[in-house]
Amino acid sequence: MRFTKAQALILIAFSIPVAIELRTVAGFFNYDLPLIGVVVIEFLFLALLFVLYGLYGEKSTPAAQ
Amino acid sequence: MATAAGNEPLFVERFPDEAAVAKANLLVAFVALGIGAFFGLVQALHRTDILRIIDSADYYTLLTGHGVLLAIVFTIFGLAAFFHWATARSLDQPAVSTLFSWAWFGLMTTGSLLASVAILGGLVPNLGISADVLFTFYAPLQAHPIFYIGLAMFIVGTWLSGADWFLSYRAWREDNPDERIPLQAFMVLTTMIMWYIATVGVAVSVVFFLIPWSLGLIESVNPLLTRTLFWFFGHPIVYFWLMPAYMMWYTVLPKLAGGRLFSDPLARVVFLLFLLLSTPVGIHHQYLDPGIAEGFKFIAMTNTMFLLLPSLLTAFTAVASIEHGARQRGGEGYLRWLGALPWRDPAFAGMAFAGLIFAAGGFSGMINAGMNINYLIHNSLWVPGHFHMTVGTAVALTFMAAAYWLVPQLTGTKLYSRPIGLLQVVLWFVGMVFMSNAMHRAGLAGIPRRTAEPQYQNFDFVTPIGSIFELRVQIAFGGLLLFLSVVLFLFNMLLTAFGEKSERPVDEFLPAPLSGPEGSPRVLDNLGLWTGIAVVLVILAYTLPIAGIIQNGGGLFGGGLPVPVTVFPDVELVKTVLAGALAALAGVLL
Ligand code: HEM
Ligand SMILES: [Cu+2]
Repeated sequence: MRFTKAQALILIAFSIPVAIELRTVAGFFNYDLPLIGVVVIEFLFLALLFVLYGLYGEKSTPAAQ
Repeated sequence: MATAAGNEPLFVERFPDEAAVAKANLLVAFVALGIGAFFGLVQALHRTDILRIIDSADYYTLLTGHGVLLAIVFTIFGLAAFFHWATARSLDQPAVSTLFSWAWFGLMTTGSLLASVAILGGLVPNLGISADVLFTFYAPLQAHPIFYIGLAMFIVGTWLSGADWFLSYRAWREDNPDERIPLQAFMVLTTMIMWYIATVGVAVSVVFFLIPWSLGLIESVNPLLTRTLFWFFGHPIVYFWLMPAYMMWYTVLPKLAGGRLFSDPLARVVFLLFLLLSTPVGIHHQYLDPGIAEGFKFIAMTNTMFLLLPSLLTAFTAVASIEHGARQRGGEGYLRWLGALPWRDPAFAGMAFAGLIFAAGGFSGMINAGMNINYLIHNSLWVPGHFHMTVGTAVALTFMAAAYWLVPQLTGTKLYSRPIGLLQVVLWFVGMVFMSNAMHRAGLAGIPRRTAEPQYQNFDFVTPIGSIFELRVQIAFGGLLLFLSVVLFLFNMLLTAFGEKSERPVDEFLPAPLSGPEGSPRVLDNLGLWTGIAVVLVILAYTLPIAGIIQNGGGLFGGGLPVPVTVFPDVELVKTVLAGALAALAGVLL
């Protein structure tokens, strides 16, 4: 399946609530996740998304799909 | 619903007058949205102490403007536009009299203008006109008479708009004596019946008590009585906001997703349940009001929990119809079909986001509705957190998303920019996640709502995770994104309206549901019967509490000495429990 710009945008949007409440989830496991940890994880997610978009995105060559 | 795909002439060509009325309504709605959103931004920045451009004393003026312009003007003019469109298209005939349509529009607009002047007058010193009463206008807060008069005119305007759609229906019925009411028209009519019942409360409150009181004709009012009458209308108004959004979710969203509505009869049942149960629950906004016996509050809570049913049915139908659409588009797997949805389309994406946020708002609403757990969050910032997810997103974002699909039908021009539209709905979603989530959390930490300066001396609010400072930043940042989103939206609409005419600006066709109305019981369409039952339920739920409020609360016009009510006499108890049981039973059976 092709990975469209719109889909990437939607995935970024959906990642925001997860990121905001990540510390609560960590708290359930008695882990004190610092704010900077959340920032790093969200950043890594965005980086991953960019890589995937580069590989399978709308403008990628058919060979890469 | 129309049958042939494709080549039908545009809505604006078939019904130019109806399109013009709908456009005028949308224009007022969007102007209110722009001003209201600006006030929202100012408030969000002010109360978080990030940026203060107004005096804290003016906060209530803006907050009243924000509440009235968004929750009343924007939503209801939006609804009027959608309903006017839906009635004409689903009955496939124009309104009975265009002059009459313009008359109700004019009355609603004049009323809104008067109320707005009263509110904004508060910003002009020495003018002597103000209405800093917030959109709930609880006495003893008092507004200038033109605020209440404007409000009354507005409400009468909405009554006439309903009459317009009922007249269309009657004309259609004469030509089609045996047909089932088309689904969209059915939704319009049931919503309006609910509104007629609900607005009795606010009409009595405004006409008999608040207007005479603000004119100085009567000395005092019974504040608990006017408050209760307000909430008699104040809960059903939330369904007045939601039902047009539901209409879009039921009849338009499945098409946008590439499929069709799952079940027409289920949609009818849902709207009937709203008609029956919307009003007899208003007391759930008054769990903390002294002077209403606990038993009545308990009954309101029980009825409220029954109201969850139609909302859950809607969630089911919407998701089922969307999944059906995705599979029609070649989607597969348990979750992978989500990727096959038309995310590029701002109308679809916006409604999907709105539905998702509504699910979250529904959960926080269950907390509000629980009589005991409500004490935890009552009047805290949690509450605005909740309703910015429901009316502020489920409704507002659905209206904006629907506009991307509907406005081109009314103007005959293509949407100016789909990518900007998509960016706009995404910004709204992200902004609302920031603002609303942080509001909920701030409320849990005890931060009150409706205050310009929620900080207290020698007192610190504590959060279990993160800090109050982070919450403040999240609220302000979210508010900023939301405001930008509104700017993008209005800009897109403006350029669309002035765009070039197009042969086929948008695909207007709405496919028939998978399961049509044919097999469903005809009694569903018996509007008289359902109205009767709804009225009985309201009488059961409200007679005794209102009698108690008048008796114990110092009489019809207050003034007397209130008698504190904690426990009520036994006979009363038996009566109310019986009434509640009946109401609940009716809720189950019907
Ligand atoms: C630009 C987007 C928006 C922002 C930044 C925003 C922000 C706010 C803030 C900060 C408050 C005040 C909280 C307080 O002090 O108690 C508030 C209250 C409120 N908002 Fe919004 N809001 C927005 C959009 C909306 C929308 C779209 C609606 C409804 C359709 C809405 C309806 C309300 C209502 C009814 C109140 C309560 C007023 C009162 O307490 O009397 N808001 N909003
Ligand atoms: Cu309510």
